[in-house]
Amino acid sequence: MSAPEPTDGLGSWKQFLCRACGLIYDEGEGDPDGGLPPGTRFADIPDDWACPICGVTKADFEPYQRRTRVAAAPVAIAPQRRPGVVIVGAGLAGWSTAEAIRAEDATIPITLVTACDGDLYHKPELSIALGRGLSPADLRRETGVEAASRLGARLMSETFAIGLSPERHSLRTTRGTLPYTHLVLAHGARPALPACLDPSLCWRVNDLAAWSGLHAELAQKPRNVAIIGAGLVGCELAEDLARAGHTVTLIGAEARPLPELLPEQAARRLLAGLGGLGVSFLGGTLVNGLARRKEGDIALALADGTSLVAETVIAATGLATPSRLVRGAGIAFDKGIAVDPATLRTSAPDIFALGDCISIAGSPCRYIEPVARQAQVIARAILGWESPGYAHAAPVIRLKTRSAPIELHGVPVAGAPWHVTEESERRLAMEQRQGGEVVAWLAA
Amino acid sequence: MASAPALRLVEAPIGAASAVGPDWTDEAVLARTTAIAEGPLSTAATSIDHGDYPLDIMGQLGAAGALGVHLDRHGGRFGLSLAAMQAASRACGATGFLMWCHDVCGLYLEQSGNPALTGAVLDDHLTGRTFGGTALSNPMKAFAGIEPILLRARRVPGGYRVSGMLPWVSHIGPGQYCGAIAGVVGAGEAISHEIMFLLACDRAELRPCPQFSGMEGTSTWGLRLDEYFVGQDDLIADPARPFIGRIRAAFILLQCGMGLGVTEGSLDSMHAVEEPLGHVNQFLHDRPDAIAAELAELRARVIRLAETPFEGATDYLIDVLDARAQVAELALRASQSALLHQGARGYLMSAAPQRRIREAHFVAIVTPAIKHLRWEMARLSQDILPAATGGRA
Repeated sequence: MSAPEPTDGLGSWKQFLCRACGLIYDEGEGDPDGGLPPGTRFADIPDDWACPICGVTKADFEPYQRRTRVAAAPVAIAPQRRPGVVIVGAGLAGWSTAEAIRAEDATIPITLVTACDGDLYHKPELSIALGRGLSPADLRRETGVEAASRLGARLMSETFAIGLSPERHSLRTTRGTLPYTHLVLAHGARPALPACLDPSLCWRVNDLAAWSGLHAELAQKPRNVAIIGAGLVGCELAEDLARAGHTVTLIGAEARPLPELLPEQAARRLLAGLGGLGVSFLGGTLVNGLARRKEGDIALALADGTSLVAETVIAATGLATPSRLVRGAGIAFDKGIAVDPATLRTSAPDIFALGDCISIAGSPCRYIEPVARQAQVIARAILGWESPGYAHAAPVIRLKTRSAPIELHGVPVAGAPWHVTEESERRLAMEQRQGGEVVAWLAA
Repeated sequence: MASAPALRLVEAPIGAASAVGPDWTDEAVLARTTAIAEGPLSTAATSIDHGDYPLDIMGQLGAAGALGVHLDRHGGRFGLSLAAMQAASRACGATGFLMWCHDVCGLYLEQSGNPALTGAVLDDHLTGRTFGGTALSNPMKAFAGIEPILLRARRVPGGYRVSGMLPWVSHIGPGQYCGAIAGVVGAGEAISHEIMFLLACDRAELRPCPQFSGMEGTSTWGLRLDEYFVGQDDLIADPARPFIGRIRAAFILLQCGMGLGVTEGSLDSMHAVEEPLGHVNQFLHDRPDAIAAELAELRARVIRLAETPFEGATDYLIDVLDARAQVAELALRASQSALLHQGARGYLMSAAPQRRIREAHFVAIVTPAIKHLRWEMARLSQDILPAATGGRA
C-alpha cells in the first residue's frame, strides 16, 4: 500500500536507510503502524518517531543509495554429484592439471579454486610484453570462465583457500568448505617483499593482474623507473622497460647481476647489453625504504645514506611459497611444499602439488618447462593409471634479454670457478667442473 | 588442560592472583564450571531460552574462576577460559554467549591500562560480583568497512560527549555496563578517530528489543546515548583502533567456546538416542563419530591458537578467523544432525536439539558472522599493490 505518485513538487518518493538495522523507510509507503501515513516525506517525520524494528530515531537514518549489485563472481558450474578433484590455483599449473585429467576422463568432477579471475595467459610473456607494446587483452588467451566451460569444470574465482583437513578430505575457502577425493595444490609462489619496502609503493610482477596495473601506470608516458633486484626477473624487466622507452635504473645487492648463477665474464656481457639500451646498473646497493614525496614520485633510501628518486618502483626481490595452508594441515614444507620427486605426492594422503609452489629435496622448483609433465603424472595417479613417474631435471634457464641472451644448463655451484671454453666478440661459452664432470655450462 | 598455560600461571604476579582467586587452578576451575553446567545450568537452560537472564549462575561461574582466568593477572589462560565456556555452552548456548560478553569486557578493562578500570572495577567484574558486556558489533563491522559507525563523540572540556543509538547490546541492564566505541567528530563532521570507553547503563536509556527467535535470556537491549559524558576514568582506549588491532584475535578466538559447546551438546543428544534409534540413524549424514572427530581436531587447533592470543601476524589472525568460521559451520551441521537423530522428540519445544539449532544459528550470525569472517579472510589474503598512478603523473 503506497501513496500514488507525489504531487508536492518535491520529486519522486525517496527512501532512507536505518544505519542500525538496515530497515528502509519509503516515503511512499510511510509507517502506518508508527503513525506515518503513506506519502509522509522524511523531512516531515517528527523527531520522536522510532525505527519500527530497532528503535533508533530519525537522526540515524541516511538517504538510501542503492548499491550496485555485487556482480556474481563468474562461476562456471558443471553438475557436481561426487566431490571429485579440487585444484587450488588457476595459473598454468592448475589449468594444465585440469586439462590432463579431462583429456583422459570426461566425467570426473573438477573444481578450480583461485584467488584471481582464472584467465589464461603465458606467464613468461609478462617480462617481455611492454617492449612489444602488448596490452593485458593481448596477453589473455582465454578467460577462466571459457576454459572452465570448455573443460566441464567448476571455477571458483576470487576465492581463497584458507584451511585444509587432510584426514577429512576437506578444503575450507572464503566461499565455503569443499570436500575432495584428490586435492592438487598449484597455487604458486608469491613475491617475497622485504619488510622495509612498502607494498603500496612498489609493483611486483608475478601475475597478469599485477602486470596490468603496472602496464596502466606506464602506459601514459615514458617514466623514470627503479627496479630493485637484479635477478632473472629484474634483468628481464629492465630490458623490457628500456625497450618500451622508459628510463631504467636496475639496483642489485651485489656488485654484478645474477651473482648466484653467472660468472663475471657473462655478467659483464649482460650489463653491456643492458647498458646499450640505456639501463643504468647500480650494484652493491641495498634499498632500506620507500617514501612517497610531495611531488608524487617515490624516494628510495639507500643503505649508504644517499637516496634515489623514481616515478615507478618495481621490486623483483624473489619469490617465496606461502606456507600457512599446508603447515596448518601438517604437510611437510621445506622452502616449498615438499613432494616426492617421482609421484609429486605431498606428505598427506591424496594431496599432490606442482609448479612454483613445490620443492624437491629442499630446492624450490620455479620454472615453466616441467609443469606440463608434472600435470601428466598427477593426472594419471589420480585416475589410478600407471605412470612412468616424473623425472626431475634442472631446467635450462634462458635469460630473455635480447640485448645479451644467455642460456644456462645444469646446476651451477655458487662461488665455484668457471672456465672459458670459447670467447669471441659474438659468443662466450663457459663451463663449471666438479671432480672432472661438467656440472653447468652456459652460452652468452 | 595443556601444560603450557598452567606454566604461565606460575609466572603471574602472585599478589594479584591470591587476592580473589587463591584456588583457581586449571583443574579446579574446570571441575567447578562443569559441575555448574551439569547442575543448575542444565536445569535452567529452557527457561533461559525463554527469557530468564541467569545472573545468579553467572555469579557462580565468576566465583568459580570461569570468567577471569584468561586475564593476565590470572595467568592469561585463554585455553582454560575457552574450555570453561565450552562446558557451559554444552548445557546452554545463551549462557556461553553471556560468558563471552563478560570475558571480553574484562579483557577491555585489563588491557586499557587505565588505573580507574584495572583495580576494584576489574576485580569485581572478573569474579562475577558485577556484570557487563560488549557493544562492539557495530564498530567491528565499521572497522572492516562493512557499515558506518553509529555512536558519535564530540570533544568537551575534560573528555567527550557521546550520542547515538546501538540497536542490540547483550549482557547489560540497570546497574551494568559495557565496552563501547564512538567516532570522534571534528570540524566538518568528519570522523578523526575513535574512542573506546566503559559505558554505564544507568546513564543511558535502555530500550526493549523485538523478540528474537532464540537467546532470549541474554538481556539484550537497544542502547540510546544522549550527550553521554566520557571522562578520563571511563576511557579504555583513545585512539581505539590500535587497541582493537591488538585484542581482535583474542576477541574472536574466545567466541569459539560457544560453538564448540553447542556442538558437544548436539553430540550428547545424538548419543542419547543411539540405543533406541541407532538402527535407523545409521542412514543419516554427519553421524556422531564424524562430528566427534571434527570437533576433537578443531578443538585442539583452537586450544593451540589460544596459547598466543595477542600474536600480531596476519597469518595468525587468518588462522583464528578460519577456526572461528569452522566452529560456526560445525555447530550448524552438528545441531541439525542432532535434531534429525532425535526426530520428533528433538522437535518438542522443550527439547534441547531444537534449541541448539537456534543457538548454532546465533553462533553463525553474531559478529563476526560467517560471511564477515570470509570477507575479512579474503581481504587479508589479498596482495597489496600500488594504486596505478598513470593518470596523475
